[in-house]
Amino acid sequence: MQVAVVGSGLAGFTAYQTLRRELAPGEIAVFGTNSDPAAAWRVRAAAIRQREMRSESDGHCLPTSFPGLAFSSVRRRRSARPLLDSVLDRYHPTVEEFLSHVERLRERSGWDASLVPRRIERVRAVDGGFDLDGESFTHVLLAPGHPGLNVPEELCDDPRVVHSYEPHDYADTVTVVGAGLAAATEWLNALAADAEVVSVRRHEPARRPLNVPRQYFSRRGLDGYHRLAPRERVERLRTLIAPSYPPGPQWDEPLERAARDGRFRVEQSVNGSAQVICATGFRRGIRHDPLLARLVAEHDLETADGWLVLEPDSTVPALSDAERTLAVAGAPAQWAFPAADTLAGARYAAHRFLGRIGSCRTR
Amino acid sequence: MSYTLRGRVETRLAALLPVLLGACVLAGVLDRWWPVELVALMAAVGLFLDLEVWHRLLPYQPAWTSVPLGAIELGVLMAILYGFGLQAPLLPALALFGAGWLAAVIFAQAALPLLRLGYAEDGGELGRAGGVAAVALVLAFGGSAATYVVRLPPVVHLSAGVHQGPLVIDRREVLQGEPGAVVRGGIVVAHDDVQVRDVTVVGGENGITVDDVRETVIDGVTVQGAKLDGIHVRLAGVVIRDCTVDMLGNRLGQGIDISFNMDKGMSMVEGCTVVGGQQGITTHSSATDIMDNTVSRTTGQAIAVDEMSMGMASHNAIRNALGVGLYCGDRSMCMFDHNTVIGMRPDTTSGLRNRRGLAVLADFQSEADLWRNRLVANAVAMDTTTNAILRTSSRPSW
Repeated sequence: MQVAVVGSGLAGFTAYQTLRRELAPGEIAVFGTNSDPAAAWRVRAAAIRQREMRSESDGHCLPTSFPGLAFSSVRRRRSARPLLDSVLDRYHPTVEEFLSHVERLRERSGWDASLVPRRIERVRAVDGGFDLDGESFTHVLLAPGHPGLNVPEELCDDPRVVHSYEPHDYADTVTVVGAGLAAATEWLNALAADAEVVSVRRHEPARRPLNVPRQYFSRRGLDGYHRLAPRERVERLRTLIAPSYPPGPQWDEPLERAARDGRFRVEQSVNGSAQVICATGFRRGIRHDPLLARLVAEHDLETADGWLVLEPDSTVPALSDAERTLAVAGAPAQWAFPAADTLAGARYAAHRFLGRIGSCRTR
Repeated sequence: MSYTLRGRVETRLAALLPVLLGACVLAGVLDRWWPVELVALMAAVGLFLDLEVWHRLLPYQPAWTSVPLGAIELGVLMAILYGFGLQAPLLPALALFGAGWLAAVIFAQAALPLLRLGYAEDGGELGRAGGVAAVALVLAFGGSAATYVVRLPPVVHLSAGVHQGPLVIDRREVLQGEPGAVVRGGIVVAHDDVQVRDVTVVGGENGITVDDVRETVIDGVTVQGAKLDGIHVRLAGVVIRDCTVDMLGNRLGQGIDISFNMDKGMSMVEGCTVVGGQQGITTHSSATDIMDNTVSRTTGQAIAVDEMSMGMASHNAIRNALGVGLYCGDRSMCMFDHNTVIGMRPDTTSGLRNRRGLAVLADFQSEADLWRNRLVANAVAMDTTTNAILRTSSRPSW
């Protein structure tokens, strides 16, 4: 076997679907600890009571962007509305629709046949490929996922604290720390549960439909991004991944109503609320991921402000050549694709990984 | 979709390919070039807007913008089509544009994203396929252009001097008269797609006869001494430009007579000088535009739009004639604008009411609209007979 995917979450799963265009299940090994690719995501979505995806019709795990989830929604809902909404960029699949899509793909793609239920602890470059805890592969895609939930240091020991992605209910008074989509969802959740809500945030959140501006999902924005010097790219990346949530009255009206009623306000620091919900996302930086941290340390790989420096095609430059490939997908691949932690980002890395395999001289 | 410039162009070219192939087939079936010309124009307009407008204006292009962008491109296309007088029938041209637009939408939103793995993230770029599409398009247009050139009618040069007629043209050709080339006894056009240029025709039953053929062009000819009509057109589509027809001494003939060609599309008489004859320029059951001509010394009607014709007479000058200057008769629908009619004299020998020196006459259930004509020193300015309608409007009626 020549091709391995390390990580059995959604990024690994999306990569697997792309690889299946040209490889049989027996030619791909997927290393992971959970056979359900949506297991981790499902828990987080349930924790924040997410009902709709932020992504649009093309937020799916298929190798090509078409047909999108709007098409299956048309069948499921027996209405052309999803297609019309998709044309207007207003379609967002429900969480249920997305999870059904993942389940269907899992069943028909041979995912379970390729899955090796084992956590990889160490990736080491060897002649002509990579050693994954004793097994050799020529081409490896690392999709280790997020390296854990981020809780601000000053709140770590506060007994009132719960992370938004952990299952929780709502107290009468709730402080939500953060300003991204999870935070916005939690404001509405807590208000719906009749709580009094305080939003604590350092900056005003950006309002945009997707995680990053749309042109950064294509070469139009990426070419300029890839040309930036490392220091500038770090700055740009920080700006691009700053907290944001979509514009729209479905967010604004409940908040304005609650603010008028004195049930929602913004403050600079955590106050005396009965519950503190940290909607502060995930830890960022390879030092938090043992697998990547070890890889970087053992091979002296280049990093920039916690990001692993990658080629535009999401490969590790020092360890990829005409005969072997080490690529990264998911959140740790933001150096190549700012929205790497989205499904479109996973697809981006997967497409290029497959391209590298296809052009490999030894394949 | 956030297109790169290259992606935008490659997507455009790829989507045009099936439309161009369809247009080539259509051109072959119809034996007309307008489908290929229209697709070439669509490509030119689309690429210009891509390069100069859309790329700068739209860093991200939602799917719904296909509708307004398509409408703008259609508007520009139609403006060019009609501004430059390119001959494409309206409804088929709209249908072809619609097919092109639909192909572009299907290609950009479905076919290319389905067929090409990284289509969206590559900004619409197609890699090698983009180059292939461009080459295929150039080859298709180049092949069409080469076919057009190869199929151009042969040019037959008529040398200076007198050539005995009647000269019958029974194949596609351009009959190009050298200075001083004269045909005695008339010319008969008996084949489609014939051009007669710079020839003097003397005598003959008709000076030039065009019968039951299409796309005849008569340009720069001089006709003298025809027994019946100077230029006689039946059941044929024709463009007559810059001619001189001398019918002096012929009391019953017509200078130019275009009849019974309503089903052949628009015909045109432009820039001609007609002297003498009973009627200078006349149409029957025809859709003909009569523009920028000078007609004088006719004995019946100088310009007549007759017998259920639909036509426009515009910017013509009529002087010193008997009877009627501008005539709209027998259930015809006429638009007379910017004509000058001076010195119409009554035909006293006939004693007829409708020949009493009228600048404009609408006769027998016809409808004529007048706009900005100069009617000077005529015996009678205008009149109607037998339930005809004559409207003088402050605005053109088209």
